[in-house]
Amino acid sequence: MLIFYNKYKKWVYTLVAITLMYLLILFLKIDLGLLFSDVHYVTDLLNEMFPPNFKILWENNVVYISILQTIAMAYLGTLMGGIIAFVFSLIASNNIFNYKYFAVSAKWLLSFIRVLPSLIIVLIFVVAVGPGSFAGVLTIIISTIGTLGKLFTESLENLDPTSANSLKSIGANKIQIFKHAIWPEFLPSFISNLLYCFDINMRTAVGLGIFGGGGIGYKLYLAMRVLHYKDAIALIICIIILLLIIENFSNYLRHKILSK
Amino acid sequence: MIKAVGLTKQLKNGKFLLNNISFEVVKGEFVGILGASGAGKTLTLKSLIGLLELTSGEVWVEETSNQHINIYQTKTSILKKLRSKIALIFQGYHLVQRATTLENVLMGRLGSVSTWRTLFFGFNENEKKEALIALERVNMQSFATARVNALSGGEKQRVAIARALFQQPRLLLADEPISNLDPKNAKIIMALLKELSNFFPVIGVFHQPELCAKYCTRIIAIKEGKLYYDGEPNLDEKTLEDIYGEELSSILT
Amino acid sequence: MIKKAFPIFFLLLTIMVTYYAMILTDFKLNTLKKGLHDSYFFIEQMFPPSWEDFKDLWNPALETVALALLGTFLGTILSLIIAFFGASNLTNKWVKQIVRSLISVERSIPELFILLILIAAYGLGALSAVLALMIGCIGMLGKLFADAIEETPVSVIESLKAAGASKVQIIYFGILPDLFPKLISYSLFRFEINIRLSVLLGAIGAGGIGYELDYAFSMLQFHRALSCLIVVLVLVIAIEQISLYIRKKLSISQL
Repeated sequence: MLIFYNKYKKWVYTLVAITLMYLLILFLKIDLGLLFSDVHYVTDLLNEMFPPNFKILWENNVVYISILQTIAMAYLGTLMGGIIAFVFSLIASNNIFNYKYFAVSAKWLLSFIRVLPSLIIVLIFVVAVGPGSFAGVLTIIISTIGTLGKLFTESLENLDPTSANSLKSIGANKIQIFKHAIWPEFLPSFISNLLYCFDINMRTAVGLGIFGGGGIGYKLYLAMRVLHYKDAIALIICIIILLLIIENFSNYLRHKILSK
Repeated sequence: MIKAVGLTKQLKNGKFLLNNISFEVVKGEFVGILGASGAGKTLTLKSLIGLLELTSGEVWVEETSNQHINIYQTKTSILKKLRSKIALIFQGYHLVQRATTLENVLMGRLGSVSTWRTLFFGFNENEKKEALIALERVNMQSFATARVNALSGGEKQRVAIARALFQQPRLLLADEPISNLDPKNAKIIMALLKELSNFFPVIGVFHQPELCAKYCTRIIAIKEGKLYYDGEPNLDEKTLEDIYGEELSSILT
Repeated sequence: MIKKAFPIFFLLLTIMVTYYAMILTDFKLNTLKKGLHDSYFFIEQMFPPSWEDFKDLWNPALETVALALLGTFLGTILSLIIAFFGASNLTNKWVKQIVRSLISVERSIPELFILLILIAAYGLGALSAVLALMIGCIGMLGKLFADAIEETPVSVIESLKAAGASKVQIIYFGILPDLFPKLISYSLFRFEINIRLSVLLGAIGAGGIGYELDYAFSMLQFHRALSCLIVVLVLVIAIEQISLYIRKKLSISQL
């Protein structure tokens, strides 16, 4: 019987869940009372944040350059990361190059890259090239290689082998098979995944701002650090609108590609 | 007893989806509603429960022997009670797949029991026993603890009927209940429905005029939103052709 | 002729945009080449990890997991409730549209900033972190859940409605049981993300391994920092494997 219907199981599970939560709260030493007693800090904060100071958006060019910077970070990261990921995925997928040894090691490498938290990667790059958007771009490139590497490998391995096989039987060489059978079928998912990754990378680019990544994320962090809440809210609203536009744009293009 | 009076639904562009449909069905009748696709059969059926917004029209049900209620003019609380006594089965996919057969049957009485009681205490032993009896009626009691997604189409429909029975309904409505079934199971379901019509009126929408001719006691045909035919189940070819128009060749097996 | 020129035009455009982007972000390969030496040297300095420190990293690691666990759990419940209001088969058009837009907006706010705002209100600590993770779930889980709810076959809802069931009953008996496997699967996926976030938020002061890592770096205790990094890696890999395993078992057994 499903938990939902059995009287006893339902209550037992609920009780266990509540107990678990309570234990976690105790372990973390969270003072629930603060939620209510300190609410006035939240309202105070909200008061300080409104009305938002939209003037900084055009006061000097700084903000609008940082928006372009953030977009540039995501763009370069996706482009370069995508190309490298594509090469990796060709090696890593079972059906393209057929060097099993390399395929397996490439897959492991991709997994390893994906596991590295971006925090660590950005630290390494900040040490290497200094804080700023360059470090951000490099970080995004690496994380893109991880994500797109996996996605591309999956779509390459899921391709329908019939057209490739028929070309092979006619005697076409690897390059021709690739150009005429594999590439056209792969193209839609390739572009779709790129767009998807671009969307994610935009959010990462904003988030990395705190860790010296640069772009508008950094401006926002600065504003909060110096308690210029009105500026911060204006920047947040700006970020929200920017990300919403990119998300909708990306979804729209992906829909069009999928339906073609 | 259920009586539809002047059911009409008109779209903004003037087209009539339903045009002044009236009929009355009593206990002992197994009515088959036939018609071409889009003629208005399912809409008519849905109106009988008030699931469709009408431009005008009334649906009367017998509350007690002297009191009649119009479904389209009752309060929500009374409507809920009325609906709990009217059973509706569909073509398919209306059972909760991951729940067991017995659990699905028990859901039939959700309308007659208070929300909070069902949420907190589920159903009691008595109700479970009655649910098993409903399953026995359709010969599915051995599947009581099996999950619905493991059953075949015919078995699922039988469980749906068991759920309808568990409601202890005063009326059973069926929307293309056999369209997804193979001929053998279709006949089993039709025979079952006919048997049930001895206890309460059964009204079903069908695409299979030959099965209706065999099992139904009465046929109502809807053409372009209007009531076209209401009477004996044995239709001759001419009438069938008029009802279905060009679709006829694809309907006749 | 225009058709033939299009790909070339597109290529030129891409090159120009890329070049401009590289200028904007100070992309200089030379800097990278020189810098990599520094990075390598830096990483070399961190080896070997300080083995004695591992034993007092155990507690912070548990804290990080606890934060992610609590945040995901509460976040799932919150997102589910919100998702009900964002599903077209449960509410009217206006409510659904507003709720879905709010969910999208939340998705656009990086969790770090939610935390910063919460810190400004509630101070540093676990409470702010849990709340930040919880609210952060809404963007992803809210959308996934709402989409899944909308996938419930219409006839299930209609047949229960026709039998007289109230909306709450329809949700509990008709929608939730079939939704359950997806619920668990999506929550586990979010849990993986929340572990990483928990580390990140920790670095800003929420506690746990992230905090230890940040502290070690700022105190220039690089060996300890490497130990922290190793713990983070192990944690993330372990959680990912567990999550993958559970999700695989879920899709095979219960269907």
